[in-house]
Amino acid sequence: MAPKRAREQAPRHVNATKQTLPPDVITKRTKRHLEELERSNYTEPSITLDNDDEGVISGKNRVRQIVSDKRHLNDPSVKKKKSSMKVRTALLYRKNLATLIEESRIANLPSHVPTYLTAAAPPPQLPPRLLCSVCGYKGAYKCKKCAMPYCDMNCESIHNETRCERRVI
Amino acid sequence: MQPHTTVILDNGASSIKAGIARPPDGNDNDQPKLVPNAIVRSKGDKTTYFGHGLGRCRDYSALHYRLPFEKGYLVDWDAQKAVWDGVFSSEVLNVDTAESSLLITEPYFNLPNIQDVYDQFVFEEYEFHSYHRCTPAAMIPFGRLFGAAAASPECLVVIDSGFSFTHVIPIINNQIQWYAVKRLDVGGKLLTNKLKELVSYRQWNMMDETYIMNHAKETCCYVSTRFFEDLETCRSNPKKNNILREYVLPNFSINRHHGRVRLPNEELSATDQVLFMENERFTIPELLFRPDDIGLEQSGLAATVAASISLLPHDLRGMFWANIGLIGGSTNFPGFYERLSSELLTLTPVEYDLQIYRSEDAVIEAYRSAIAFVNDPVFPASVVTREEYFEVGSNASRRKFAGWQSSSASASAPGDESTQESMIEDRSQPSRKPSRARARTTTAPGRRR
Repeated sequence: MAPKRAREQAPRHVNATKQTLPPDVITKRTKRHLEELERSNYTEPSITLDNDDEGVISGKNRVRQIVSDKRHLNDPSVKKKKSSMKVRTALLYRKNLATLIEESRIANLPSHVPTYLTAAAPPPQLPPRLLCSVCGYKGAYKCKKCAMPYCDMNCESIHNETRCERRVI
Repeated sequence: MQPHTTVILDNGASSIKAGIARPPDGNDNDQPKLVPNAIVRSKGDKTTYFGHGLGRCRDYSALHYRLPFEKGYLVDWDAQKAVWDGVFSSEVLNVDTAESSLLITEPYFNLPNIQDVYDQFVFEEYEFHSYHRCTPAAMIPFGRLFGAAAASPECLVVIDSGFSFTHVIPIINNQIQWYAVKRLDVGGKLLTNKLKELVSYRQWNMMDETYIMNHAKETCCYVSTRFFEDLETCRSNPKKNNILREYVLPNFSINRHHGRVRLPNEELSATDQVLFMENERFTIPELLFRPDDIGLEQSGLAATVAASISLLPHDLRGMFWANIGLIGGSTNFPGFYERLSSELLTLTPVEYDLQIYRSEDAVIEAYRSAIAFVNDPVFPASVVTREEYFEVGSNASRRKFAGWQSSSASASAPGDESTQESMIEDRSQPSRKPSRARARTTTAPGRRR
């Protein structure tokens, strides 16, 4: 459990001249972290959904492909049907949620109308508790460089060696 | 002509609970088919699986997911259609959609432009005879979550904690009180991703192993009722405490497809890889009760429930406190009920009783209620038929389906400034201001009946 003392003396001195991150940088970092937690896949796709004949979706000459069309169900009785215009549009042009929220204009509704935007839970009553970002235990200290909490010198050295380098600009 | 069958599709962001509602014949152990709502690409198998096809997968490592839902809302219709095509086909339900009626669930506060696309798919693509679209909580009053008695209480609160988020939904006489519905942006997806992140930082790199980590979460995680005590236990006695679980990772090279928890004194072979689950077991579900642990600026579930009830009519609040029901997969964590009870008990005003109801299977509770709803006399009147749709388009469903818009459509516009201000104040002090909250509810829309 003995912390490696030799390594951590040097940065201490530099930090003595108050170098904490401004709060807005931390807010931004938290926001980015929360967005990461919403991702469906960690590594983003170089995917080709179809393994057989089709070409890879590539930058410029990108052909819009519809996976649901290519699906061959075992059922031979399924007739190929031509989808209506609106359905076709929905299949071809995927919009992300932010765009859809904007297009739905729910932000313009009068303020007494409850919507997705107003339904979020109220902010917390209690101040946030500090949990060590390394081991999860109660973290009594914050890193002077990046303001992440840690609990003891052991975790501090691990933090300095691993996470602290990934600093937000 | 009345269609013979009613298809029920509880269209969750993670899994679709699908089935056919049979007429009531005393036999209500109708189990829905659980279909993963995703297109999944397996690297090991070099195959893409659509929805129910995932059951054929042989190698669950590094699955790549394409989910129709983003943050709880249906955005990728291409993926959704691919999954639905499978569900309606002979491989799962084997229904003739043109001859059937449909009951489908949508997320809370679904956007109007997304709702229109639901209509288009149901009538123009699948040509259903008629359909009804509502939120899962709207059907709960028809089910048996609140005891086997014939009728559910007039005032109740449903807590729906699913894959994308958690909602607190108060209901009076089967009508959702939209002005008091609150959303906590923590759901199963976020919890699994957070677990992935923790484990990858501390032990093995699992960032691409969503499937495996979701299983580890479901088998190992629990909600702690004594958070700091459990933290101390893990700290003071690492690797030798009663919290530790050793999750043996699956090994696809020898065809062992699922991980499992190591039994006491079980011998492990040399090739087995073990994931040590200590404080990961309870710090993950803890986020439902303390979202600020990851910097999410929202109150925990208990405070959110209190905030929601404080927006309701003063004289009815006691009934809400006494009728709280839990649905959704994320309520399945062991200890969830106990923790929520103990936290809510401290927030319940002294003059009221607290009572929380759970179901045997929180995932399919909404589906079960849906069957009861379909067999209820009100159901035939609440559907929109294909003829109506082709006559007036999506207006037909806007008129008929009691969504969050209809609760406010007739509300008056003036007085915006003042209500806005009082709402902001309400939020900063959600539970302890009965007089102010009462003043607000009297002007609130949606109470009119």
